[in-house]
Amino acid sequence: MHWLTRLFRKQRAEKQLDAELRFHLEQQIADFVAAGMSPQEARHRARLEFGGIERVKEEVRDTRWETHLDNFARDFRYAFRNLRKDRRFSLIAILALALGIGASTVVFSVVYNVFVHALPYKNFNRSVVFVLHNLTDGGNSKDRRYFSPEEVRAFREQNDVFEDVIGYIHMRPTYDDGKSIRFFSWGAFVTTNTFDYLGVPPLLGRAISKEDGSPGAPPVFVMNYRLWQREFGGNPKIVGRTFILNGKPTTLVGIMPLQFNAFNANFWLPVMANYRSLQMAGRLKPGVSVAAAGANLDSIAHRLHKPNPGGIFPENRFAIVPQTMLDSLIGDFRKTLYALLAAVFLLLLIACSNVANLLLARATTREREIAVRATMGATRGRLIRQFFIESFVLAATTSGTGCVFAYFGLETVVALIPGGTLPDESVIRMNAPVLLLSLGVTMLTTILCGIAPALHVVRGDLQPRLTGSGKGVGGSFRHGKLRGGLIISEIALSIVLLVAAGLLMRSFLILTRVDLGFDPKNVLYFELNLPPTYNTDLAGSLQKKNALTRQLLERMRALPGVTSVAEFADPPPLKYEVSDTIIRGKPHGDRWETRFEMCSDGYFQTLGLPLVRGRFFSEDDVSAARDVMVVNEAFSRQYFPNEDPLGHKVKLDTFDLPYFALAAPRDTYFEIIGIVRDYKTRGYDNPSWQSFPQAFVPYSVAGFNWRTFMARTAVDPNSLLKNMGQEVRAIDPSVRIATSGTLEASLKEFYRGPQFELVVLAAFASIGLVLVVVGIFSVMAYTVSLRTHEIGIRMALGAQQADVLRLVLLNGFRLVAAGIIIGLCASLALTRFLASQISGVSATDPWTFAAVVTLIVSVGLAACMLPARCAMRVDPLVALRYE
Amino acid sequence: MTQDKSELLKGTLGMLILKVVALGPIHGYAISQRIQQISKDFFQLQQGSLYPALHRLEDRGWLDADWRKTDTGREAKFYSLTRKGRKQLEAEMLNWERLSGAVALILRTAEYSPSHALADSPFSKTAR
Repeated sequence: MHWLTRLFRKQRAEKQLDAELRFHLEQQIADFVAAGMSPQEARHRARLEFGGIERVKEEVRDTRWETHLDNFARDFRYAFRNLRKDRRFSLIAILALALGIGASTVVFSVVYNVFVHALPYKNFNRSVVFVLHNLTDGGNSKDRRYFSPEEVRAFREQNDVFEDVIGYIHMRPTYDDGKSIRFFSWGAFVTTNTFDYLGVPPLLGRAISKEDGSPGAPPVFVMNYRLWQREFGGNPKIVGRTFILNGKPTTLVGIMPLQFNAFNANFWLPVMANYRSLQMAGRLKPGVSVAAAGANLDSIAHRLHKPNPGGIFPENRFAIVPQTMLDSLIGDFRKTLYALLAAVFLLLLIACSNVANLLLARATTREREIAVRATMGATRGRLIRQFFIESFVLAATTSGTGCVFAYFGLETVVALIPGGTLPDESVIRMNAPVLLLSLGVTMLTTILCGIAPALHVVRGDLQPRLTGSGKGVGGSFRHGKLRGGLIISEIALSIVLLVAAGLLMRSFLILTRVDLGFDPKNVLYFELNLPPTYNTDLAGSLQKKNALTRQLLERMRALPGVTSVAEFADPPPLKYEVSDTIIRGKPHGDRWETRFEMCSDGYFQTLGLPLVRGRFFSEDDVSAARDVMVVNEAFSRQYFPNEDPLGHKVKLDTFDLPYFALAAPRDTYFEIIGIVRDYKTRGYDNPSWQSFPQAFVPYSVAGFNWRTFMARTAVDPNSLLKNMGQEVRAIDPSVRIATSGTLEASLKEFYRGPQFELVVLAAFASIGLVLVVVGIFSVMAYTVSLRTHEIGIRMALGAQQADVLRLVLLNGFRLVAAGIIIGLCASLALTRFLASQISGVSATDPWTFAAVVTLIVSVGLAACMLPARCAMRVDPLVALRYE
Repeated sequence: MTQDKSELLKGTLGMLILKVVALGPIHGYAISQRIQQISKDFFQLQQGSLYPALHRLEDRGWLDADWRKTDTGREAKFYSLTRKGRKQLEAEMLNWERLSGAVALILRTAEYSPSHALADSPFSKTAR
């Protein structure tokens, strides 16, 4: 192994090379002397002719491959040493880019997992769900997601847009485990083609198949992974066991894998033959658009309903609105993700230009080093390779740090994402494609920015760089422009980020600081789950429900720690019912929309709504179910502008809808007896708090199943929930508390959506700002160091320190000003995309813009200050001698 | 002109060295002298290209090297041709002869019929 021995005998090879070249030189000298030159002249001529002996050696060495290996290792060592030596530079560069990479990896991961990899189902991007949108009330009432058996059949048979259609409906059966009967988890009835449609193989056992729907087939069900783990400890032997669900023995035939959580159900049963109504989904034929599918279904539905105009939707005023399955699961969170994606892209750009800037500045200061190395015998390839390796080392360190940031950042973000915004199916974690993308971007930037200056330097003439007279002119001037441009774009980008974050922050503050009109603190609420025995005939069930309510209110009031209690339908301020309002003697063409509440007499006192005029309900009003109504000021303002509403009679149109026939008082006019102060609720399309017309009627007039109770407490409201449960059971053991919470907690939960976006964007904006400060600082510091000589001359000629300070500050400020102008224009153009996510503040809010500009100007000047002071202290003598 | 010469040399330097070494073991300085003499000072060999070339040829196994005493009694590195090197030299010389033959043919032919070449040229009229 010739080369191997040579590798280990490198020293000998070096010695031999030296001897060989030396021999050549001496032989040449001897020849010159023989030709009649003096020995001194001969030596001089020979050396001149030979050229740089070290250079020749270097070129000879380059012919051996082990030299390359050796140089490679040496370059690595040198790169590390260099980065360690210039610690400030390395730390800033690594941190800046690592933050950018970390942040972008986090956001890319979330986006990838939500959009690209969210659902494990076959062709899920062609799956659509559809809802029926009621147009009779201006499109504001709840959509109907359930379709009758006739509708389901018609959609299945008559559509020509779907490959396949499935139906499902949520249900919650009782479960008899031999010791007690309790409610089981939430499940769903599904049509028997559902599992084929979704195309996910079961983890254990089998899925539901077509045969399970044939008459006489034994009842079976399939469970999801989470329920299996939680309730049954992941025991595989459970498959094949029989469960008593709703009193019927049902065999568990399979377990689905972790990501399979279709319809947010925990288990699935084949749909019964006598099902009432179903939600539906269908897979579009290839090439059919969502809109086309909607039109097709719409025409089927209208055809179906024409013969019976007295049906659910009189006058055929409804529309079918299809939505992709993904959209229906993600909803508005898509917009948030797009905003974050844009933000993180800006941040990454800032980070990249920052590093590019640092590398450029550094390379220019190293021009002299490069020139010296080139003169000492470094070939061009060597120099470029060395810069490449330095950049590579930098990029690799950065990437490593970035990965660590991304890992912890992702954990934080996942914890911050408000519950329920993401479908159960999506599992957010770091993944290879995302990581590779981010790493690729870093490597590319670092290496390109690292090599570019090296290429530039080695191409040119070395002489002026070596002597230092080239400083600040020629090539470095061009770089100076590039660096200035980078800084300007950094500032512009960070202004866009800051404006977005500022707008979100203003909007969030307005949203959370708003006076709702009542105090949500210390209010416990819970909703009852009434068994079927409460829904027999109208008169009987109304009486039964009202008796239960009365007794429970009585018992709750007696509990220690409770100051007042009330019954109502929907917990304020996030939920409400709406109705068209009909007032005798006040015909109106447009829809008068009123939010209404059916409540007990304690409702106003419990929420703390002050009475403006008239009176509240009395206990008598409620127990006698009198047709009386309390309205709020907005109601009075809107429908009785110059009139006293007291004594007028009002009908809530919703009560007359056919499907409320059993429970609601039909064609009933309520007499207005009192006016209360407004409290704020939310709009439909705008998340901001507003006052809407509201009306309150006694709960006892209607027999709805919505029975919610609340208590204002003097102690921690959560501590009373157990007592409430006991009271409920004491009255009727078959009644259970379905959901519970405090008003404050539900508000907090509601704020988590905007808060999430705010926190993430604010974090990005602050990182961006820090990077910009670092960028401005490094460029100014570098410019000052380049112009030390010039400043020295100016001072020697009589310039004052203040002049120098002004010179440097003005220089820096020019960059900042240019960045601000570009950034403001970009912000004005871009913030309108945020408009749907902010409330209470316009997308071009002048205060936010002004605050951002002030912030940038002050941090920009601060970043210039330190280098400016350095320039001010330049000693003319030292500066001049330095050259 | 030096630029042209060095370009010309670059492609053929390996062959020239091999040819010079083929005459018998010889050291680097003598090679450069010999090439310079034979070419009547046409090629001024730079050490910066001679020694890397020598080492490259040695690396490829076309040259062998050992340290011997010169006539003046000094130690020097002498290069000699290996069998592989001889084959390489023959191949390169053959190539070169074909190439230079072809080039010479073109030059000669073009020299003898300049008017023919110009007769059909669109420039011929204006040229006269």
